[in-house]
Amino acid sequence: MAESASELVQIETKKPTLAEVRAKLANQQGKRFWRSVDELAETPEFAEMVAKEFPSQASEWIDPVSRRAFLKVMGASMALAGLAGCTKQPDEPIYPYVTAPPDLTLGKPVYFASAFPFASGAVPVLVKSEAYRPIKVEGNPEHPYIRGGSDPITQATLLDMYDPDRSQHVLYRGDTRSWPAFLAAFRSMLADKKPSGGQGLCFLSTTVTSPTLAGQWQQAQKNYPQAKFVQYDPVNRDSHYTAAKQAFGSFVDAQYRLDQADVIVSLDADFLGGATFPGFHKLARDYGQKRKLDGTDAMNRLYVVESVTTSTGFKAEHRLALKPSEVAAFAAALAGAVGAGSAAGGANWSDHESRFLQGVTTDLKASAGKCVVIPGEFAAPEVHLAAFAMNQALGNVGKTVVYTDPVNPMPSIQTDDLKALVADMNAGKVDWLVILNANPVYATPVDLNFEDALNRVGTIVHLGSHVDETGEIAHWHINNAHYLEMWSDARAYDGTASIVQPMIDPLYGGHSANEILQSMLEEPDVSAYDAVRGTWKDQLAKGDPEFNWRKALHDGWIDGTAFAPKTVTPKGGLGSVPAPAGGDSVELAFRPDTNVYDGRYANVGWMQEIPRPVTNLSWDNAAQMSFATLEKHGLAENDAVEIAMGGKKIIAGALAVPGQSDGVVVVTLGQGRRSGRVAGGVGYNGYLIQQSGAPWMQAGASLRKTGGTYDICVTKSHHIDQRAVSAGGDGSGTHSLEGNESLDRGIIRYATLSEFKADPEFAHEGEGHDTPEPDDSMFPAYRYDKNAWGMSIDLNSCVGCNACVAACYAENNIPVVGRLQTKIGRIMQWIRIDTYFEGDLAAPRAHFQPMTCHQCENAPCEQVCPVGATVHTPEGLNMMIYNRCVGTRYCSNNCPYKVRRFNFLLYSDVYDWDDKTLALMRNPEVSVRSRGVMEKCSYCVQRIEAVKIEADKENRNIRDGEIRTACQQACPTDAIVFGNINDRTSRVAKLKTLERTYGVLADINTRPRTTYVAGVLNINEELAKSLGEYSS
Amino acid sequence: MATKDAPVNNPMVDPVTGEYRVIAPGHSFKSVTEEVSRIVLTSHTPLGWWFGFMVAGTVVGILTICVTWLFLKGVGIWAVTIPVAWGFAIVEFVWWIGIGHAGTLISAILLLFKQGWRNSINRFAEAMTIFAVICAAMFPVLHLGRPWLGYWLFPYPNTMNYWPQFRSPLMWDVFAVSTYGTISVVFWYIGMIPDLGTLRDRSQTKVGQFFYGLLAVGWRGSVRHWVRYETSSLLLAGLATPLVLSVHSVISLDFSVALMPGWHTTIFPPYFVAGAIYSGFAMVLTLAIPIRKFYHLEDLITIRHIDNCNKVMLATGLIVAYGYSTEVFMAWYSASHWEYFMMWNRMFGPMGWSYWTLITCNIALPQLLWSRKLRKNVGFTFLMALIINTGMYFERFVIVVTSLTRDYLPSSWGTYRATKWDYGTFFGTLGLFTFLFFLFIRFLPMIPMSELRMMLPQARVREKAEPIPEAGD
Repeated sequence: MAESASELVQIETKKPTLAEVRAKLANQQGKRFWRSVDELAETPEFAEMVAKEFPSQASEWIDPVSRRAFLKVMGASMALAGLAGCTKQPDEPIYPYVTAPPDLTLGKPVYFASAFPFASGAVPVLVKSEAYRPIKVEGNPEHPYIRGGSDPITQATLLDMYDPDRSQHVLYRGDTRSWPAFLAAFRSMLADKKPSGGQGLCFLSTTVTSPTLAGQWQQAQKNYPQAKFVQYDPVNRDSHYTAAKQAFGSFVDAQYRLDQADVIVSLDADFLGGATFPGFHKLARDYGQKRKLDGTDAMNRLYVVESVTTSTGFKAEHRLALKPSEVAAFAAALAGAVGAGSAAGGANWSDHESRFLQGVTTDLKASAGKCVVIPGEFAAPEVHLAAFAMNQALGNVGKTVVYTDPVNPMPSIQTDDLKALVADMNAGKVDWLVILNANPVYATPVDLNFEDALNRVGTIVHLGSHVDETGEIAHWHINNAHYLEMWSDARAYDGTASIVQPMIDPLYGGHSANEILQSMLEEPDVSAYDAVRGTWKDQLAKGDPEFNWRKALHDGWIDGTAFAPKTVTPKGGLGSVPAPAGGDSVELAFRPDTNVYDGRYANVGWMQEIPRPVTNLSWDNAAQMSFATLEKHGLAENDAVEIAMGGKKIIAGALAVPGQSDGVVVVTLGQGRRSGRVAGGVGYNGYLIQQSGAPWMQAGASLRKTGGTYDICVTKSHHIDQRAVSAGGDGSGTHSLEGNESLDRGIIRYATLSEFKADPEFAHEGEGHDTPEPDDSMFPAYRYDKNAWGMSIDLNSCVGCNACVAACYAENNIPVVGRLQTKIGRIMQWIRIDTYFEGDLAAPRAHFQPMTCHQCENAPCEQVCPVGATVHTPEGLNMMIYNRCVGTRYCSNNCPYKVRRFNFLLYSDVYDWDDKTLALMRNPEVSVRSRGVMEKCSYCVQRIEAVKIEADKENRNIRDGEIRTACQQACPTDAIVFGNINDRTSRVAKLKTLERTYGVLADINTRPRTTYVAGVLNINEELAKSLGEYSS
Repeated sequence: MATKDAPVNNPMVDPVTGEYRVIAPGHSFKSVTEEVSRIVLTSHTPLGWWFGFMVAGTVVGILTICVTWLFLKGVGIWAVTIPVAWGFAIVEFVWWIGIGHAGTLISAILLLFKQGWRNSINRFAEAMTIFAVICAAMFPVLHLGRPWLGYWLFPYPNTMNYWPQFRSPLMWDVFAVSTYGTISVVFWYIGMIPDLGTLRDRSQTKVGQFFYGLLAVGWRGSVRHWVRYETSSLLLAGLATPLVLSVHSVISLDFSVALMPGWHTTIFPPYFVAGAIYSGFAMVLTLAIPIRKFYHLEDLITIRHIDNCNKVMLATGLIVAYGYSTEVFMAWYSASHWEYFMMWNRMFGPMGWSYWTLITCNIALPQLLWSRKLRKNVGFTFLMALIINTGMYFERFVIVVTSLTRDYLPSSWGTYRATKWDYGTFFGTLGLFTFLFFLFIRFLPMIPMSELRMMLPQARVREKAEPIPEAGD
């Protein structure tokens, strides 16, 4: 260590040296294992010494230093093998395991169960850890609520942890300080405030999902009764809780049991869109299960009424686009029609809307008790009231809807609390403001002027993962520990509690909110681990507590913690329904970004890059509107448009979105960040026109064409089909060329349920000729004697959520290429979600199709490679040999599916190798590709091989389902099935015999190993007739 | 082709045949030799030459910059992307190789067919072939993702015991182009040996005598030498003749073998060959007309040559037009959705402009060549040659780029927008080509003196001496 000190920074000799501390600690603690080193490293002496010894770890991360220097720092600040191990500092560029922990075999990954705490409920995860580096986050397949599956954000938390932009020190006014220095300041403040009961101390936190944290606060509150704890997330549940409070008199969560529901009505609820919607994983899974037609012809039916085009809307059999202000009135009208009370006010519905209303009403009534009405998180409270009333009136409560305690242990109406806090701040009543993991300077409605209010606060403390907009202003900045680095706990949306375990010691010695709150209590030194254990002591007391604790850690959840259903009855009717904003006024609908959420994942490259569902926006957000709205305001796509609202203005790029209701502009939150190397400067900041009064919808906005252009980055644009009927078009001039072609070419095949019943072979209709036999080829056919890997993707249950794409990025070390490269078509994703719009783009149907390498048996790519860099394996995989590839790109040209991806530039280097932290994240089983090399999906061959090795060792065949590809594992609806098609009993082989199974472009004799199960839509025939839908 | 109506008093018209002469009257062995060798052996390099050489050299400098940056950064500096993974580089590869074909056709096929008029232009047409092949051969290497591994395309013995993949048309290209380059160089050099002997003998400087002497490999002009020379020329012509047909056929297989709509078509080999000759003759004219003017070689490269080249262009242009119409017909007749859509997209898709440019340049405008008057108009011919070269560039652009922008899966459709590095590389190779050509016309005999001398009436062996009407002195 001494030698490394000189290469790093100058040492302040007055302070204790490493050797002194080491000697001191060695005497006290001796050799201990990694879990307790966490505590050890936190001892103030040590922490201070580290801070003094390496005050500029930052430059160490950012500068292109050697791996050796990096490991030295890591060895010092983390000391995975116990500090005693450091007495002999290894020079080898490996982890300093002097004594390898007994459960660790290098090269063999270990899985740990944990949970990703998220505002809408934790996502129980399994974390794959390679030499104690977490390298993949997966949904916990055994968790009773989630049962595997995940979502893009959960997948991306991995990159979030390794983000090289994370803050790495405790800062005071921009200068590095030690954690003890902060604690000293904090405690002296506490001591001062103790007599007044904590007057002037306020906490502003993101939504708390940790029972331990809530418990800590409740204890602290006893000592400091005047201190305040405000929770605020820009994406909050205010609508729901306001309505719940009004209808039930208490905060309750609603859980929907879609496995029991035959008819689902969504009122602006994007429940298939991602983890933003509470309970997404279970909802998506249950929704998907009822669309498999697995030995039954019973299916659910989905109606969606929505003001913002979402993938949920496009999965619906019947979809109605309304303005945001009309949704509440429609909900009230629907409630009235199904006999769930009546509301004052009303609206004039168009003929189309009335028929839709009529059709939904009839269907709901007919399936009372087997239907569900789901209100949207961003809809007005009145929509929730109507949904409560309807579910009650239809007898759904207890069957398809269950009310439980809220997953948030301290539920509140967050916007109201924030407003009160800002008022306090402005009144000078807030002396110390401790901001926990929030970024209110960036992510609060503009009318609150939060930044100005901060000026009147004495001391601002910011606990955050980044020195973000708030961190820059705060006096104290505490670097936060990521959930993969700390002990905590969290509840999934059904209430099942999970322990959040650290997978790695904090990379930058971060601290958690638990630690800050704990320091307010009588026993400030209780570690987070002990605090968490303390919280669940009673739950785990039955029998052997140690065993129970270990089981909880091992399984990833604590048995019996799921919430019991609550019996509540809605009261108070539908409330007063706001009248739709009439006339020509432009309404704004605000939504969090599907990927970067409220902006907190904006610095995660994967999340920026992965195209958003429906819009295919990447590295951007846009002013989304319908074609008619665009035209009405004299705009064209890519025009820069100024959106003015309440005296505030932003400039965004105009983007036409098929199916968007007219007169509405969708403003996406989460972009336009000022800080972060990835996030900075991407898109516009929607918060700058958000109003706290009605954060999700605002009427009366104005649009102005600025005259400039804004080059929106979309990975897939749509062309209007201008062809006449004679040229193969539809002649209308309103359809998508790509959409028309996808149907003409048999890429998308679907039928309605009655069509399917009449003709189960519908997916093969019009296939002009038989598929040629393998032996018809000039070249001898391959023989697959043992295993033949294949995949089946169910288009009926795919909801286009992008979980597979994000999982693939993590599993296969896929580089992030940046905005410009994405825009010109060089995005590297191995699996993508193709979206096709069918019919009039003003109100289209959409089809999602995950597209990845089809591993053709008769692969066009293999034949044309001049150097044999892409070859066929005996199991039918189509393998890229990166080392052999010279980069002619002929294979990509000849790939009809265009799933091959080329490293046109040195992509991996730009985003990885400068930042050594990202190298740690890489999956060691997958090569990182260099410049000039072709790459593509391999069916996760590394997973196949790992299982094959295990099976070989045990001298057995591979079991069906034993190999799960990353995309399959991530899929929340179980739409992707992988397996051995030679094994006739395997799931995939059975799926391949389904009459609905078809191969895309199989007629050009590629013999694809990936096939699709055609969609079947359970339409309401009567309604379809009256609306004139599905007529072709 | 009757040209009887040409003015009888025009000395360029042979009164016996009524055709334009291949060589202007009044030339003797000596005058021909002097006319050609003075260009090479002069000690006064014309200023115009220096100017052109400098301009071309500057453009070669641009090429060097483009290639250096390409090697440093990767092919990502070009516009190639997914789905259009081949762009300008392959367009230019095919274009340059095509241009080379005229040289081989003139030197080999026309030799076998005993077309004496070819003799004036065959040398520089062959040089053009070689330089075009050099330009073309750069691209398959430059366009590689990892160009430093380009040698893996050759079947060389290696410790990995690993061969190239012989099913790939790119592999066949390697053989086709390398064979073509080799034969062209050998043919060109052997044809030049008698002239190099002449230059050695006439050179006034020691350096010239030494180097031309070295290159002349002891040529003495003995009958034995001439017999061997004629035999080897014929043999090489026999070897080169199939190459005229095979090289571009093989290159067309890069596309035909692939399954992309717009590529996967059996008509490509003949239509690529015709297109190659078409563009090659256009390039011969593009070069011959300014040189003829600059070095006052109107006596040796006459209207007869220009007329003949124009006729070849008209004929090959019609073959190419037939090829295009067959593609259109098959798109409809095959009833294949892919083909139909491909053709619709070529004509009316976002890149439709390139298709109509191609049709205008390659089919519509060249029909003017039916007019004899225009065929003999040097200025018009030069313009037409440039138009056809442009048209042929667009033909390859349409095939390579437009086909790739919209293929099977509509989700993957894309576009192509060339970058400054694409243009820089393209103009750079034009500069390289010109640069090499300037060196050639300065240091080597661009018109074969020996073959031209044989065409003079004096060279005709007669049984009985009789007065020679056009003999000079």
